[in-house]
Amino acid sequence: MAGLAPRVEYLAGFCCPLGGLAAGKPRVLCHGAEVFLSTGSELVYVYDREGRLLIAVYKFPGQVWHLELLALRRALYVLCARSGIYCLSLDQASRSVSRDDKDDRVDQDSEDGQVDELPAPVIPVHPDTCVLPGATLHAFTVLDDVLITLAQGPTQWKVQLFERPCPGEDPRPGGQIGEVELSTCTPPAGSLGEPTAPRFLPVLCCASPPGSRAPHGHPWGSGGVTLEGPLFGLLFGSDASLLESPVILCGLPDGQLCCVVLKTLVTSRSAPGDPKSLVKILHHLEEPVVFVGALRTEPLSEDVEDADCDCLVALGHHGRTLAIKAMWDEAGHLVPELREYSLPGPVLCAARGRGGHVYHSTPSDLCVVDLAQEGSPWDLTQHDGAPGGLPSLLCPASLSVCSVVTLSVSSRAPEGGAELLALSAKGRLMTCSLDPCSETPHPARVTSANAGQKIKELLSGIGTVSERVSSLKKAVDQRDKALTCLNEAMNVSCALLSSREGPRPISCTISTSWSRLQLQDMLTATCLLENSSGFSLDRGWALCIQVLRSSQALDLDSAVSAITYTIPVDQLGPGGQREVTLPLGPGEDGALDLPVTVSCALFYSLREVVGGALALTDPFKDPSSNECTPDVLPEQEGVYLPLSEHTVDMLQGLRFPGLAAPHTQALGPVSPARDPVHTFLGTCCGPVSQPAGPASLRAKYLPPSVATIKVSAELLRAALGDRHAGVSLCCATLQWLLAENAAADVVRAQALSSVQGVAPDGTDVHLIIREVAVTDLCPSGPIQAMEIQVESSSLANMCRAHHAIVGRLQRLVMEQAARGSSPPDLRLQYLHQIQANHETLLREVQTLRDRLCTEDEASSCATAQRLLQVYRQLRSPSLLLL
Amino acid sequence: MAHRTPPGSSASHASCLDLWREKNDQLVQQTKVAQDSGLSPRRQQLAQDALEGLRGLLHSLQGLPAAVSVLPLELTVICNFITLRASLAQGFTEDLAQDIQQGLERVLETQEQLKARLEHGLRGLWDSVLRVSSLLPELLPALHHLAGLQAALWLSTDRLGDLTLLLQNLNVSQSRASEDLLLLLKTWKPPAEESDAPLTLQDAQDLRGVLLTAFAYRQGLQELITGNLPRALSSLHEAASGLCPRPVLVQVYTALGTCLRKMGSPQRALLYLVAALKGESTWGPPLLEASRLYRQLENTAAEIECLELLVEALSVAHIPEAPQLLIEVELLLPRPDPASPLHCGTQSQAKYLLASRCLQTGRAENAAEHYLDLLALLLDGSEPKFSPPPCPPGPCVPEVFLEAAAALIQAGRAQDALTVCEELLSRMSSLLPKRPRLWGHARRGTKELPHCSPWVSATYLLQGQAWVQLGAQKEAISEFSRCLELLFQATPKDKEQGPASSCEQGCTSDVALQQLRAAALISRGLEWVASGQDTKALQDFLLSVQVCPGNQDASFHLLQTLRRLDRRDEATALWRGLEAQTGLPQENAAWSLPLYLETCLGWIHPPDRETLLEEFRTSLLETCDL
Repeated sequence: MAGLAPRVEYLAGFCCPLGGLAAGKPRVLCHGAEVFLSTGSELVYVYDREGRLLIAVYKFPGQVWHLELLALRRALYVLCARSGIYCLSLDQASRSVSRDDKDDRVDQDSEDGQVDELPAPVIPVHPDTCVLPGATLHAFTVLDDVLITLAQGPTQWKVQLFERPCPGEDPRPGGQIGEVELSTCTPPAGSLGEPTAPRFLPVLCCASPPGSRAPHGHPWGSGGVTLEGPLFGLLFGSDASLLESPVILCGLPDGQLCCVVLKTLVTSRSAPGDPKSLVKILHHLEEPVVFVGALRTEPLSEDVEDADCDCLVALGHHGRTLAIKAMWDEAGHLVPELREYSLPGPVLCAARGRGGHVYHSTPSDLCVVDLAQEGSPWDLTQHDGAPGGLPSLLCPASLSVCSVVTLSVSSRAPEGGAELLALSAKGRLMTCSLDPCSETPHPARVTSANAGQKIKELLSGIGTVSERVSSLKKAVDQRDKALTCLNEAMNVSCALLSSREGPRPISCTISTSWSRLQLQDMLTATCLLENSSGFSLDRGWALCIQVLRSSQALDLDSAVSAITYTIPVDQLGPGGQREVTLPLGPGEDGALDLPVTVSCALFYSLREVVGGALALTDPFKDPSSNECTPDVLPEQEGVYLPLSEHTVDMLQGLRFPGLAAPHTQALGPVSPARDPVHTFLGTCCGPVSQPAGPASLRAKYLPPSVATIKVSAELLRAALGDRHAGVSLCCATLQWLLAENAAADVVRAQALSSVQGVAPDGTDVHLIIREVAVTDLCPSGPIQAMEIQVESSSLANMCRAHHAIVGRLQRLVMEQAARGSSPPDLRLQYLHQIQANHETLLREVQTLRDRLCTEDEASSCATAQRLLQVYRQLRSPSLLLL
Repeated sequence: MAHRTPPGSSASHASCLDLWREKNDQLVQQTKVAQDSGLSPRRQQLAQDALEGLRGLLHSLQGLPAAVSVLPLELTVICNFITLRASLAQGFTEDLAQDIQQGLERVLETQEQLKARLEHGLRGLWDSVLRVSSLLPELLPALHHLAGLQAALWLSTDRLGDLTLLLQNLNVSQSRASEDLLLLLKTWKPPAEESDAPLTLQDAQDLRGVLLTAFAYRQGLQELITGNLPRALSSLHEAASGLCPRPVLVQVYTALGTCLRKMGSPQRALLYLVAALKGESTWGPPLLEASRLYRQLENTAAEIECLELLVEALSVAHIPEAPQLLIEVELLLPRPDPASPLHCGTQSQAKYLLASRCLQTGRAENAAEHYLDLLALLLDGSEPKFSPPPCPPGPCVPEVFLEAAAALIQAGRAQDALTVCEELLSRMSSLLPKRPRLWGHARRGTKELPHCSPWVSATYLLQGQAWVQLGAQKEAISEFSRCLELLFQATPKDKEQGPASSCEQGCTSDVALQQLRAAALISRGLEWVASGQDTKALQDFLLSVQVCPGNQDASFHLLQTLRRLDRRDEATALWRGLEAQTGLPQENAAWSLPLYLETCLGWIHPPDRETLLEEFRTSLLETCDL
């Protein structure tokens, strides 16, 4: 096949559905200048190559699945899905041109422009003209006087043999000669559902014994072959050869290749044949069989024009190819030589050519392989002394035509060459002529060019194999890698989940600080992920940080709108650290709603690591992690491991510009979100243009909101432990409150007991700690207590700070209670009274609030005043935390 | 047409129901029209259309929630659909079970009892539906109809256990304990459909009759095969007494004939066979059975006549009647099985039976003619008519050739026999072993012992015998020698190789191979004797005795030759051995040899064994006296 030079010529275009023609059902046949073509639709086209025009179009009652031409009898047989077999006379086809009854015209693919000067009439074929009705027929072939069909039964394929009906004949009910059932087939699904069109149709090939050829040409239709005696006898047994009976070869969609000796198929009417004795399974390709045929591989002697085939070939959809030849072993016994090859798939269609050539089409290319022996006279060693053996490797040679859905080898081949008639998926009919001179299949002797070509072919073969090997290797590597990753992930998950108490092997600590980002001060949270475990976090792990704002945190309904940041952890080995800084606010509007809850979790994306392979498996979810934070779980499937949760409250968000600490000084009091132009203007205009917002007005004219909390000194002392050593309890308490603030060090250094801070929105917040004595509470005398007072001109900020302090104290009390310290004796009556006072206050709040809703503006003002007053009273309880 | 409309249902509902009913009735009518229109594509089309119509109707009915008022119609439509579908497909498929299941689930849906659904499959479903149906008496006729179809489905798929339970549930009022399906079928009384019920293709009563006949026949046939003859007889009588179509009746009568023949009542069997032949539909099985009967009665003339009629009957192309668009008995019968006693095979199989019986019973001329007819039938490629070889369970094609040749020799037509043998050899030539190609493989040249099929050897043997008959000793001896050459090259290992069809294994058993060798040796020995070369003959006879010790013929021929050569001591020793054996039966009698070999062995049988022994004894006594 050295240097095949295909010459492709487009003949005509036929309409095809969107997405192109599917392989399997289109057919193209040629007889002289006439081309018969079906595209899988209801139409059968008759096209004249000489005149380059469409002669006729026949419209059948259903999809056309197969065409077979019996040239000798001038008949075209057409299998119409769910209807049966129709027969057209070839003479009728040419005559029909002159017919007048053109109801409609063919909707031709006009872009091609080669055919449609003369649109052909569409001749409808009436269902009544069906010569062999059969709704379940899937394939057929014609042999001189018999018609062989393959029908799909409820559970089995059924081969039936009929007397060949002639064109225009009524179906004869007694025409069936015999039938036998083949292996099981998958039954069509659904009870009431319509049977769906199968993706693959079975293929039939009729093999005749040698010498049975009629004197006037081939007795078979377009799909028949004549096999050499030894191969025939070997494949089908001595009975078939003695009877000189044709044999039908069936390639089924499940991969089976079986044969039935036709003369044995004749059965009495009442009984279908016994499959065990009639059907012989030759091979199982394990993929849908798309082609069965036979070839002449050994060189022909000079005088013989067309010798019998000596090699049976079957092709599977995925490219698996079977070749069988008859051989004589060293003892002289007849033995089969059977080889399987793998050609590139998926195979759309195939055809046999002369001289051991098989053409097969894939979506990307039309290839030819040569099964003829590769010049054995000069290469004895290669063939193991068995002359005429099959090649050990097939090298497909490309013809550079893609997406051919059906193919037929034209009989009008030039001397020594070949001409293919092909229909592409786009509906183009084309001829592909192969250059005869470059196609000398059996070089008489080795020339350097031959040797070079041979080496080239072998190299290409090696290339294909190595390509395949490398792709397989890659797949295996990927899988290995995925498994390793999964194993690591498993280890990490186990380590994290098993160490619920005590220090966790992988931890995330969160701290906050103010920094200046893009001309704006920002409270930022810094998450430090530390891996102190023995495993490394690889591809697939991500750190999920969820930020829950206070308004949302307090309001349960809107919790869903929390922001989640997902940061991939790329390679964090044992002992490694990764730091992530997130802005918490204030946002565009300058507001920062504290407290903000920041929770960190590790997420392992199964989808990313395992990819499509395990995409359908259940997500590996830990139920306990589910319970903790059900809403954090992203939609992707993966492993979610919560690490830590941190609440950033007002005490952490406060800044202290008044404190002389080097790093805080830099930030300055310019603070909150202020446009620099605004600031500039503000300074220019001086005191005249004070911010006129209600907040600032209130800050100016209203007394600051105050809240106080009293805690017993003893409790604080016990809780703070060593921390207050050396400083007064007041200082220690303030230090404790501001421990998580960036200014904690300054507070400690200066031993402050009161501090003036700035809230994120710029209003002042004053924290004052003083020592008081509570007298009435305890019968044994006054109790030393610390009073924590919060003052702010902004009620909201005061509340936030108060909330933060109360939260801390609550935690402290809980811890102390757990330690089991006993409170001193209390005067219960006093406690009761305080409680009663508070209750009356609360009740008043309730009534005031109710009134606020109903009253008009004037009185509501007074009510609001009163309400604020009550609130203030409530905020300064005489209660003491013990 | 007044329909029962449930109170409270809207007018549109009732009119919808009416519409659906009319549609069903119209489709049933259409099917009946199709049934009457004979065998034509039009009929097929009409029936197919009706089927699609029923399918569509069912779709629309099942598109709505199940309601008790609509269910009788829905179940009837399901029954009609299944009936038509099974009869069009000529068999029951699994899909039909799904249709039934859907119907049952719809019934349960109205009672909100779908829990039982998939726990016990269809069986459980039927249990719960029948329990529910006591509350819904209006559903009973349709449910019994559906149960009949379920029974048919289970009968055809041989699920008799399920079938028994179903019938027990249906017969709940009667003897529940009975396990006898036949009795259960008989006692099952499907409630009569009301006169205003929607039309059905086949009613439950009719279905019950069909089931009864089919089951009785199936059971009878089963018992007949397993050899439980009295029970087979009663079941078959039951089947014969039911209503059944003529072809089935012929089968039943033939089975009765077989049963009675085996029970030793040939005359009664004959009566049934005659009745079967009057059935005028299929003559094959009763004729074959009659030939067996006459063979048992050793009435060879009648047996041969039966076989001749059988051949003739099978040559008539039988045009089947259009199957009814109903569930028929035939649909429920087991698939025809070649092993069944009622299987009569094909024309060529009958022809082979006739020819071989003629050869076995000594009608050589007839046998030769029949064999030639058979070969013509098998091989004549010019005629379009296909005819299968008699294989299997008969012999395979090469053996038919060999038997034909043997019959021709037997009939004294040696020349024709030679032609048949040559034809066989030429047709097998491509399968014959080939010497390895010579180029480049000199070392393999030493191993020129190709495997050869025993058939080729047998062909040479028969050719030799034909030459013997023609008086050409030289040719005969050379054929026998070729035969022996091949036979002694064939080692047992070789038999497993080469193109072997299934029946080839059978006729190349070791015993057959031994006997074939002995036959060839004796044949050649006899020719040596005839040409006066006694020493060579002695060699062959000696060898044949060694090759096949069980063959007494070889010993007799050896004894004769020894006597002729006057080798007394050896002869006496051999005679003593023979005397001891004469009381015992021939060893090889138990083995069935291929017919051609048996025929051939008959030709080389020493004609007067007893007289030979007697003569030898007296001559021995004489020598003792001396």
